[in-house]
Amino acid sequence: MKNESTRTLRAPRRLAPAALAAAVALAGVAACSRSIPTLEELTPQTANNDDAGAGSWKMILLSGPTQFTVAPPSAVSSDAYQAELAAIRTAQANLTQAQKDAIDYWSGGAVLRWNQILRELVARYNLPPAPRDDGSYPAPDANNPFADPAFPFANPPYSARAYSYVTAAQFEALKVAWYYKYQYNRPSPSRVDSGIQPLMPTTDLPSYPSEDAVLSGVSTEMMRLLFPAAIEEITRRAGEERDAALQSGKASSSDIAAGLALGRAVAAVFVARAGTDGMAQAAGNAAQAQAYASAATARGEVAWKSLETPPRPPMLMNFGKVLPWMMTPTDIVRERPGPPPSTSSSQMAQEVNEVRDTVDHLSREQLAIALKWNDGAGTYTPPGHWNDIATEYVRDARMSEVRAARVFALLNMAMHDAGVGCWDSKFAYYNPRPSQMDPRIRTSIGLPNFPSYSSGHSTFSGAATVVLSYLFPAGASSFEAMRDEAGISRLYGGIHYRADILNGKDHGARIGGYTVAFARQDGAD
Amino acid sequence: MRIHARSLACLLLVLLAPCAKAAAQTIEDGILMPKKALCTGFIYTHDSWDEYWEGTLKRSNGNIGAITTQSVAWMGAYGITDRLNAIAMVPYLWTGASQGVLQGQSGVQDLSLALKYRLLETPFTGAGSLRVILAATAGTPLSDYTPDFLPLSIGLASSRFSGRSTLYFHADSGFFVNATGAYTWRGNVTLDRPAYFTDGELHMSDEVQMPDVFDYSVSTGYIKGAWQVPISFSQQLTLGGGDIRRQDMPFVSNKMNLSRVDALVKYALPWVRGLQVQVAAAHIVSGRNVGQGTTLSAGFLYTIGF
Repeated sequence: MKNESTRTLRAPRRLAPAALAAAVALAGVAACSRSIPTLEELTPQTANNDDAGAGSWKMILLSGPTQFTVAPPSAVSSDAYQAELAAIRTAQANLTQAQKDAIDYWSGGAVLRWNQILRELVARYNLPPAPRDDGSYPAPDANNPFADPAFPFANPPYSARAYSYVTAAQFEALKVAWYYKYQYNRPSPSRVDSGIQPLMPTTDLPSYPSEDAVLSGVSTEMMRLLFPAAIEEITRRAGEERDAALQSGKASSSDIAAGLALGRAVAAVFVARAGTDGMAQAAGNAAQAQAYASAATARGEVAWKSLETPPRPPMLMNFGKVLPWMMTPTDIVRERPGPPPSTSSSQMAQEVNEVRDTVDHLSREQLAIALKWNDGAGTYTPPGHWNDIATEYVRDARMSEVRAARVFALLNMAMHDAGVGCWDSKFAYYNPRPSQMDPRIRTSIGLPNFPSYSSGHSTFSGAATVVLSYLFPAGASSFEAMRDEAGISRLYGGIHYRADILNGKDHGARIGGYTVAFARQDGAD
Repeated sequence: MRIHARSLACLLLVLLAPCAKAAAQTIEDGILMPKKALCTGFIYTHDSWDEYWEGTLKRSNGNIGAITTQSVAWMGAYGITDRLNAIAMVPYLWTGASQGVLQGQSGVQDLSLALKYRLLETPFTGAGSLRVILAATAGTPLSDYTPDFLPLSIGLASSRFSGRSTLYFHADSGFFVNATGAYTWRGNVTLDRPAYFTDGELHMSDEVQMPDVFDYSVSTGYIKGAWQVPISFSQQLTLGGGDIRRQDMPFVSNKMNLSRVDALVKYALPWVRGLQVQVAAAHIVSGRNVGQGTTLSAGFLYTIGF
């Protein structure tokens, strides 16, 4: 075969152009057919600063670090601790390739790695239930998570809440851990015993309780609640993280045991909050959906309706009543944007025309922007996209684990509150989508199945931009450009009016301001 | 949920036929153009499906209804020598959904260029003759269409290279049998987004690795005088890739498999020297991550000697 094609290509000179094209295509295929790394490349993280004072940073849900008891560790000179060191030496002498790979993986930063894992879980579970033959839609069931439909449907509001619970619990647990680390000041094993190599970057950070074990415990318990069908994989990764901490000489078995217990105990407080935050009622029912529609009709407005076939109940219709983090329910209603243009107004007619004109003359660049920010079904959602963006800033800033956790907690609490506020507005106004107002409007991304006003992308992005700009001032103009591009992408996609985007952006910025107000006085800056 | 695009392009090649007196001329068949003869023409194709395989689950979807892909393809085949032919093809495609709000797409899809070489020919006196043919095909997108809007994208936007071998036996009576198989290497595809989830994993990249493809086809029929009437069965097997998840959209690197039957009738018009017309039909009988398409096509091809 190979000889034949060589002969074929050599044959007549007239063939040169075709042969050249074939050769170029072949080279192109060979050159670009390479495997794709699955996650961001994370170089080993060495913190610029250990943040020794993080144990006194202001708490969010907890009353303070002493809400939990972490018993004093045994002395470094004790037989028990010396036996732990011997076990690490033995482990280091017998490392398998898989164990070395795990150490490299977790060297990228445990907070960053858990954030990647969380984004992957969201993408995996972000699929709407398929309709039944009778045209109804089954609801995902937390008590039967492996069924069809799987639990959860990790849509944007669900995932905004999930990102916030995991990252807020991680942040609070690490603050408690830091408090006890500097209370007990036990060095890491590789600093105590010269026979133990530091296989991960180490600093002067005390190792009792182990921050890796805290994160493994708190993350496992939060993800067990939010993604119960993935518990086997989550547990495996958490165990791998603890093993890597021990085998790398970063933590001893008692450092790890104390950290794991602390992480689990902090998670229990957040799990209890999640049970009473209103999420259980967020899916709503047909009577409530009818009431939202009737209220819009009574105001003289065209009420939103599902354009799916068969019609699907609107996504999490009561998510606007879920408990926020940095706001009160009263704040949520007070910050609600003013009403959208009336569906019978000339301004609305202009907005509809703008959408139709945009989609009918969409440029390739506009389509690329619509697809770039689509973040629809099967993806990590818009809040996940902003976690993705934040990851590079956190990585490059070389933060301590507790400070990295603060970034993701603040970002995700703000986006959760943005989701609550946006859903409050969507169901307060129950405004129709462009394709409902003008069926000639055809979209180049999936049409979200909930009311239009205001834009969720714009609200999430507005809140994220305010928080990230506070945390990374040098990135502010970049965040603002991304926020504006994410917003306008929804007009290009044909699924939002300009008013949805502009009001959503401002709404998100106001909501993000609540989180920034907390951050300014939490003791970290 | 995706047939058109790549498999349609593939189908077009299978369906392209006549050229020269009794000679067909496609990449897959055993027939070659004589030296200095050019066969060129256009073929219109209409493909439609309202059921697709979501992984292995066959279903319909009210949010798209029926997906229709139409195309007009130009093709040309030229006899460099009696043993070596060059073949080129470029289709223009447009897609649409009968239900829901999704926008159809249109544009020039991929250029395919092939070299086809008759390695050997063994006559069997009084029976017929057996040929062995080798072909190499390169394909690459000619426009910047997105492959990230399936099933409405017009293609998969992957550059590719195929190696093919074909066995062709033509009996003196006019009956023939043809067996052909190809392995296709496909280059990575670039999306407009920074991350995607497929085959159980989140990828933090805009680049997608495309699995390779194996396809084969067996056909039989009659070629004599002005008539050609082949029928064929073919299979496409994607050697990797993930399934469409429950209620998910299709993805560019999905494991797209299909089995298809084709029928074709070609006729050389007696009153216009060198002009052949053809009509063809094809139907997918089973598949995975593709639509169950039914395809109809019609076209003409004109042969010129230099």
